[in-house]
Amino acid sequence: MKPETLLRRPQTNRKLTTGCKILDGCLRGGIPCYSLTEIVAESGCGKTQLCLQLSLCAQLPISLGGLNGSSLYLHSEFPFPFRRLHQLSRSFHQSNPSIYANDNDNPCDHVFVQNVHSVDHLFDIMPRIDGFIKNSGNRLPLKLIVLDSVAALFRSEFDNTPSDLKKRSSMFFKLSGKLKQLANKFGLAVVITNQVTDLVETSDGLSGLRIGNLRFLCSSGRRVVPALGLAWSNCVNSRFFISRSDETIWKERSENDESGSSYVSRRAQRRFDIVFSPYLPVTSCEFMITREGICGVQA
Amino acid sequence: MEAWRLPLSSSIRGKLISAGYTSLSSISSVSSSDLARDANITEDEAFEILKLANQSSGSSSYNGSGSLINGAKNAWDMLHEEESLPRITTSCSDLDNILGGGISCRDVTEIGGVPGIGKTQIGIQLSVNVQIPREFGGLGGKAIYIDTEGSFMVERALQIAEACVEDMEEYTGYMHKHFKANQLQMKPKDILENIFYFRVCSYTEQIALVNHLDKFISENKDVKVVIVDSITFHFRQDFDDLVQRTRVLSEMALKFMKLAKKFSLAVVLLNQVTTKYTEGSFQLALALGDSWSHSCTNRVILYWNGDERYAYIDKSPSLPSASASYTVTSRGLRNSSSSSKRVKMM
Repeated sequence: MKPETLLRRPQTNRKLTTGCKILDGCLRGGIPCYSLTEIVAESGCGKTQLCLQLSLCAQLPISLGGLNGSSLYLHSEFPFPFRRLHQLSRSFHQSNPSIYANDNDNPCDHVFVQNVHSVDHLFDIMPRIDGFIKNSGNRLPLKLIVLDSVAALFRSEFDNTPSDLKKRSSMFFKLSGKLKQLANKFGLAVVITNQVTDLVETSDGLSGLRIGNLRFLCSSGRRVVPALGLAWSNCVNSRFFISRSDETIWKERSENDESGSSYVSRRAQRRFDIVFSPYLPVTSCEFMITREGICGVQA
Repeated sequence: MEAWRLPLSSSIRGKLISAGYTSLSSISSVSSSDLARDANITEDEAFEILKLANQSSGSSSYNGSGSLINGAKNAWDMLHEEESLPRITTSCSDLDNILGGGISCRDVTEIGGVPGIGKTQIGIQLSVNVQIPREFGGLGGKAIYIDTEGSFMVERALQIAEACVEDMEEYTGYMHKHFKANQLQMKPKDILENIFYFRVCSYTEQIALVNHLDKFISENKDVKVVIVDSITFHFRQDFDDLVQRTRVLSEMALKFMKLAKKFSLAVVLLNQVTTKYTEGSFQLALALGDSWSHSCTNRVILYWNGDERYAYIDKSPSLPSASASYTVTSRGLRNSSSSSKRVKMM
């Protein structure tokens, strides 16, 4: 390794479309390659949905905002939503007839799923991922790695003692370093999901430490903070926050309504926020989860 | 300056060197009789040698007042030098003010803060601003950007470069028509070309690159700023031997200081924050530990105060502790427009 080879001509990184124009607008094109992107959300907000959608969009040709590549989905939480992936894949196939020549082409063929049950297991499979990318052969080259979720990998193994926390911290940097190395070597987009914990205000005030554009993060009416703390926050390049809030919609009785009663309907409103990013301004966007996947709502 | 460079006969030179007088400073600090006795030469020869030595050292020393030790300067000359040192503007005048005009050259400045506070933005802004031509009050230099985290986005740098060029073009409108003759030649694309971008993926690459910088900058003398974003990332992994880590870090810090002094450039090291348990509670502190905190000349801490971003001078040999607010806009770093802002002197 010569130091001279480290000199690069920086180029605009390719972006992976999210499959939704409004979300892409917030992200100025989509999820960037050569970079670690973190999606933080409470359970049930839609981060896995977004990740599944990204795994399929990676196969799109570059002209349509894809990466013309396959994706690797590392999941640490059980079970993997195979059925939902197949459902999304079918509607993906239907909406992109030009790419899939015959009906037998299954977009799921280009999504590789691997279960990881601990951090050490993840480090063990890293060299295999390296080999997998290098020996692509006939298949599409790997262009996207999704890790869902990083919090589950760390939450069970480490105690709350200072020495364990320190060990955990250095694991974060080691993991992030390896993933960034992969991303840089092969031009991958890496998406990592993270969970949230409730914010418990303590007297020292550090638990409410502000990281990023939003004064505080709120989901389902509670204040939350991303799991894994300040150390992990230093390991990712961008952080996006998905939140849900239950919106009550009153529907007034209409004149022609024979039943003559007004009713209340609850709708889950989902919001996508940019917490920090090296190149995006503060934006926020509302979205819904439909059968076809994630789609943004025009403001 | 070596004694063997003096124009002497080889026998006398041999006697001088075997007596231990290998450098000019050692010769000029001794009297002729002592020199004659030590080197086993006559007094006249010693006198001649001393005259030659003083002549040579007079032509190669920094100032004419004939300092005994080569390279020593008196404080008066140093003050003159420091006052004429150029500074790199941050494009935020409040921030420039608390920095004494901007980031100073010949110094190592450390800037640290939580993720999302704007460290990379400051880094990119400085690598663009160092290129502002001298006619506009800049340094007209180039930048080295060492990226250890992958946060440098070209489109963002282009955005900032375009805003810089627009600001300069607007400024030429106000310039005296005599100077207007120099039409602004700089284009945003040129600005990007003048940033030498290095991507480092491990601590070994980082160390190798820092060792290589001396040679690189000797070949590219117009580099005026070296930015490392961030200095800490690769060092927070498991280092089996903490003593080794401290040693490696202090060697790196020393190299940066030498680079800054030798080439008169500014070194800006961006650092992360961590929590430290002091005095019974958890406090925010810059990463890499206590020993690292001695490695930089100046230290700036970035933090949130409500919805505003603030910068605080934590350590500086010449600047008072003060804080100022700034914002990150699509055009780069700018003054914050809130009416409640003011420079707070501590």
